[in-house]
Amino acid sequence: MDIIGTFQYEDDAISAAEDLRAAGIKNVSLMSPIPMHAAEKALGLGKSNVRKFTLIGAILGGLGGFAMCVATALVFIMPTGGRAVVALPPYLLITYETTILIGVLSTLAGFFLVAKLPAWKNRPYRAEANVNRFVVAVENSSGNETKEAEQIIQQAGALAIEQIGDIL
Amino acid sequence: MVMKKLFDHGEPSYEQVNQDVIKSLIETGPKYWMLLATTIGITVVCFIIPWMYQIQTGIGVAGMNRNSVWGTYLSNFIFWIGLSHSGTLLSAVLHITQSDWRKSIYRSAEAMTLFSLMVAATFVMVHVGRLWFVHWSFPIPNPMGLWPNFRSPLMFDVMAITTYLTASTVFIYMGSVPDFAAVRDYSSGLRRKIYTVLSFGWRGTAKEWHTLGWAYTFFAVLVIPLAVSVHSIVSWDFALSTVPGLHQTIFAPYFVCGAIYSGTAGIVTVMYCLRRFLGFERYIGKIHVDYLGKLLIALSLIWTYINIMELFTGWYSGSSAEIEFLKFRLFGFYAPMYWEMILFCAFVPLLMLFKSVRLNWNRMLVISILINIGMLTERFIIVSTALPRKFLPDSYGFYFPSPAEISITVGSFAMFATLFLIFIKVFPAVSIYEVKETLNPLRRAKKT
Repeated sequence: MDIIGTFQYEDDAISAAEDLRAAGIKNVSLMSPIPMHAAEKALGLGKSNVRKFTLIGAILGGLGGFAMCVATALVFIMPTGGRAVVALPPYLLITYETTILIGVLSTLAGFFLVAKLPAWKNRPYRAEANVNRFVVAVENSSGNETKEAEQIIQQAGALAIEQIGDIL
Repeated sequence: MVMKKLFDHGEPSYEQVNQDVIKSLIETGPKYWMLLATTIGITVVCFIIPWMYQIQTGIGVAGMNRNSVWGTYLSNFIFWIGLSHSGTLLSAVLHITQSDWRKSIYRSAEAMTLFSLMVAATFVMVHVGRLWFVHWSFPIPNPMGLWPNFRSPLMFDVMAITTYLTASTVFIYMGSVPDFAAVRDYSSGLRRKIYTVLSFGWRGTAKEWHTLGWAYTFFAVLVIPLAVSVHSIVSWDFALSTVPGLHQTIFAPYFVCGAIYSGTAGIVTVMYCLRRFLGFERYIGKIHVDYLGKLLIALSLIWTYINIMELFTGWYSGSSAEIEFLKFRLFGFYAPMYWEMILFCAFVPLLMLFKSVRLNWNRMLVISILINIGMLTERFIIVSTALPRKFLPDSYGFYFPSPAEISITVGSFAMFATLFLIFIKVFPAVSIYEVKETLNPLRRAKKT
């Protein structure tokens, strides 16, 4: 069963999420119309793994771009006025561009993987979370956990509590 | 430090922001359709048909000739690349510096970047003549066994523009995902289905915001040096040649400065239209036009300095070829256009030193359009006055754009307008969630 608590104030919602986590309740989501840095702390979200995707993608892009230029020069040799076949200055430009290109694309892939998107399956959600409300959702709770979660959300000052919310 | 007001007409509520922005998407009157039909009509008549005629007849329908192998198509390409420069770059810089005034204008500025780049890329295809061979310039296998030469500045261009187009697309799309979700929740029927797909099932969880925040900052960090590199690389199409007037070390900063200058003026024009036609007066106000005006003044001064330096280095070189080129540019056939450029880009912007001009949207619109006319002229002057004056008099020539080139140039503005008109009905033109970030937070402590 999913429990959804709707809040008017962000600090109430954050406090509810903190209390739920402190009570050992898992699968707690906090939805809001804007990013809330305090919520990141409350939910224990540290440095995102997206940065690893960016770094690895950028390095691979740079190496790949440079390798492509060198391989091209060696396979299709074009002697020009006694100049170097493998010419570093122009190849570094291409390397620079491919570093950024693959860095951007891998950051995008990282975003999808880390945020677990796209996700069109049914999940607890309230449309007001995109307007002016803060929503705390506890997914797949049962038995005593459900009652405890409801109590915590109620005490934190929720405007409304539902056991089945809008389905996205 | 005195904080300037972000909203001229009072701070809107969170619901108001959703309603105002989504209304601009879903409420479409007959004027919009008439305008869209007009821009599409002009694009077809002035751009598509002459281009098709050129493809069928040959590149000879353009005015380019033996001496002037580059013409209006290339100068338009530079202009549109330049216009693309402020949107994503300014947005990324202001995101990194956490400037709140960026938040209501950046989405449309980024869209300007994207569509300018698309128009610019189209001009490459128009210029090359046989566009069915364009794919040979990409490093992809083909039956001819051809592979690009990465030592060529033209290949730098291909790689830079491909990267910039990709990065700009990702940048604007990722920033729009939470707003697509807001539109999804407000819609029904087919529109809801479309926005459900576009928003990737975004719910606005802390995890999603956290991940988007990190990814978006990385995009911004990657995009800033990329934007600078792109126009530097475009400048090297010219500067890496040995043609007098083009072989200049100052060309990279000249092009980058000119691009940001032109792009910022473009943002003022676009913001005027958003205020006037989409009713965003509440979100785009005095603070925006004031800051953009100050930025334009600074860019105008840098641009003027670089222009003076360009003339000085040519004269100081003592090279007869450079002197001849300077004479042709300053006093030759195209001299009136050169001085028009100086008037519009070096002197007219000084009017913005007066606050009464800078804070007046109508005056700023006129100035921004004049600046971009000047910048379009600048790009044309670069191509049309340098190539016809190479080293030896027997290589002297003349270039004048043909009717097909003039028509395609006019059509390109209609193409840009068409893309932008479609954009404002698909993307929220003002970022909903970022504007909300600038409002008073909904905290219990704030309750009165």
